[in-house]
Amino acid sequence: MFQKKLIYPNGIKVLLVTILILTVSGFSLKIKDAYLQGDNSVPNKTTPGRNYRILSPGNYSEIVKAAGEMPVYGHWKSFTEKDGLPAHKAYCVRIDGDRVLVGTSGGLGVYENGKWRTYTVKDGIAHNGILAIDVSKLTGDVWLGTLGGLTRWSAGKFDTFTQLNSGLANNVIYSVICDGKDVWAATGGGAGHYDTFTDQWEIYMERNAPMHEPWTYGVCAGDGKIWIAAWGGGVIEYNTKTKKFRDYVDPDEQMELDVFPDDGVVHDITTGVSYDDGILWVATYFGVNRYDGAHWNTYFDHDSGLLSNFNNFNRAVGSVVYFCTDKGLSTFNGKTWVSYQRSENNTGGKVLITNGPKLKNDVKTKTFSVPTSISHNFVIGVDANEDEIWVATSYGVSHGERIK
Amino acid sequence: MKRFLTFLIFSFFLGLMIFPLSGQEKKKLNYGKTPDDIVPYGRFHKAYINFFDTPQLFTGAGREKPEPTGLKEVRIGFLGPLDSTALVPQGKQMLNGCILAIEEANKEGGYKGIPFKLMVHNDFGLWGAAANKVVQMYDEHVWAFLGSIDDINTHVALRATLKLEIPMVNSGDPDPTLCETRIPWMIHIISDDRQSCYALAEYIYKIKKLKRVAVIRVDNRYGRVGIKEFREAARRLDHPLVLEIRYREGDTDFSEQIQRVQNVSADAVLLWGNAEETAMIINQIRAKGMTLPIFASDRAMSPVLLKMAGKNAEGLVTTCQYNPIADNPKLKAFQKNYKERFGIEPDVFAAHAYDGMNIIIAAIRKAGLNRYKIRDVLTDLKTFQGYEGVTGKIIFDDAWNDIGSIWMTKVQNGKYVFSPSPLDTLVSNK
Repeated sequence: MFQKKLIYPNGIKVLLVTILILTVSGFSLKIKDAYLQGDNSVPNKTTPGRNYRILSPGNYSEIVKAAGEMPVYGHWKSFTEKDGLPAHKAYCVRIDGDRVLVGTSGGLGVYENGKWRTYTVKDGIAHNGILAIDVSKLTGDVWLGTLGGLTRWSAGKFDTFTQLNSGLANNVIYSVICDGKDVWAATGGGAGHYDTFTDQWEIYMERNAPMHEPWTYGVCAGDGKIWIAAWGGGVIEYNTKTKKFRDYVDPDEQMELDVFPDDGVVHDITTGVSYDDGILWVATYFGVNRYDGAHWNTYFDHDSGLLSNFNNFNRAVGSVVYFCTDKGLSTFNGKTWVSYQRSENNTGGKVLITNGPKLKNDVKTKTFSVPTSISHNFVIGVDANEDEIWVATSYGVSHGERIK
Repeated sequence: MKRFLTFLIFSFFLGLMIFPLSGQEKKKLNYGKTPDDIVPYGRFHKAYINFFDTPQLFTGAGREKPEPTGLKEVRIGFLGPLDSTALVPQGKQMLNGCILAIEEANKEGGYKGIPFKLMVHNDFGLWGAAANKVVQMYDEHVWAFLGSIDDINTHVALRATLKLEIPMVNSGDPDPTLCETRIPWMIHIISDDRQSCYALAEYIYKIKKLKRVAVIRVDNRYGRVGIKEFREAARRLDHPLVLEIRYREGDTDFSEQIQRVQNVSADAVLLWGNAEETAMIINQIRAKGMTLPIFASDRAMSPVLLKMAGKNAEGLVTTCQYNPIADNPKLKAFQKNYKERFGIEPDVFAAHAYDGMNIIIAAIRKAGLNRYKIRDVLTDLKTFQGYEGVTGKIIFDDAWNDIGSIWMTKVQNGKYVFSPSPLDTLVSNK
């Protein structure tokens, strides 16, 4: 009885097969056509809505050519606990001359001469969770923002500043930067400024600065100004000469949407600020911004080469900014995006290049397969110089060489 | 052949039935259950991007971590106001709700025979102390935590959860911006001020047809953020507030604010603050001979207010995040057990904390001892979607915010009388 149901006359079989073939071939043609014409409706497994083409694997000359002025990194090598990193989870990384400093959930890892050395609370660090690192150009001191206070590593000795023994606003330090003799820390209770010459502290919060809330998440310095990523308060700018503040907030004043792109800070929940080459770059969990002092540009994952709207951190080095997203690392110079991701099957990596600030009919993202990649797509920290890049991720830290 | 043709005809008609049905599907709710006429910029411009149309995934590592062995207790954190703040009564109720849930879970065998243990922390909100408390809980190896009530402390704690990767359940802070931070480590199981504001706006402007509403609010984050959605709703409904005036926490004389309300000839006043101050303002308004209708935020739904305001509270309308006299067997059992255990009636903070702690316990039992997997269960929008707790049904939106029913209360004969919110009626008719 069951078999009988499946037996149809030959004519019907032919008709069914024909319909099947036409349907499948039509769909295939549609996909092929979309790939060639750049139809963004063709889904991409990693970045929904973005068209891409797989080009020759590992052909770096082609990648470098496609990236134009943007640096391209490759030959990735990753380090985890088994390689000597204090913990898998790396929060931050800083290149310091010939050595590299990595803040992890298990202490400070220092990579020098091909070996890792670990420093923890036993050595005098405030807490093993190290969220931020900066190195003073003036003194060479290393400043560590930890979950338990601010630690200075100077002349082989660790000193810790906490709420109880200093003017630090709060012990959870999300960001620290050195600006000459001054050290700035973004904490859970306000932004702290420490003058290392006078040993004086100042705290900036909602009571003495145009912040909506006391909590801060990122801080950066440049051209006589300090910028603070004020969680819930957009970006606060402090002029170190005039001692005056101004704030930049989301013009639409709405948390759930962005009415117009390019009109200001994309969202009041800011996670990172970084300034270099006359440009302020802002990271949020909702997209990113570029501010040249007069104009704001907004970039989202659906309209640009940015891998994800969820940005943990950003760092500008020269004209290039590095955005640490939950889907990989995106780099950008205002014109071209170059992003790095692990491949879906974890056998290698991908480099995605978008030759234009925003996606358009004639601006598409090209994807290149490469044999190596960053260790994890959840990127939390980054640092780069002319020759190399280090990336801190949710599972390990990765080193990439600049391909020239 | 006949059977095949029958099959084709059947399929054709089935298709016809399905497609019109699709066309008549209920319209997807606006974010935050926002009524159509008060969607931000809704009358003028479609937003370039809506941020909460889909849940934010957590793509970091950690799910691979093995479950530890040899544990003697399974720790769950508690963060709440227990000392040195005006919110201590609410904090203690919240703690009691958690204790009751933990004790009941341990009677049922805890986690695979290992007892749950509550790690209690006071969130005294000075200099971002809540962040330090979350670090302490991280160091204590809690698997998840519940907290808190105060807006600032809760935000400070929430922000630390992303770095520390600890699941967080909030059952006591109605701040709508909590979920709007997009940190994928927290679920919010209490209706927020957005829901309260929309319910009050529907009731005041559409049902009561009032037009000139003045606001007196406390000058802190609860007042500032809490009233925001009402202020904006009023403007979008073409009845912008005629006055918004503040007072400081701890104030007892509100004559200046009340005079201002009188000066602008308001035909209603909305009070947004703690029960004690709200009661004092009500008393002073009535003492001045003003008879205008008074509305208030959810914190006014309190025995403290009834006691302090007495007859002056008659007619006061507030919102409440649940209905404590609902015909819900779970609720009745909870109220009975709570009173037996602690000797007092549970309040809104106790009830929601009880639900929140039970959700944490259920998530741990389902996911095992791995914070990332516990987070996944809490946020999967399946396991706890429609959770029937003592506070009613919890409905999460894509930001993990509870957009389930909220209630209106009216003081009548010295008691709060509960009724469904006009917002829910509006949504159910959609």
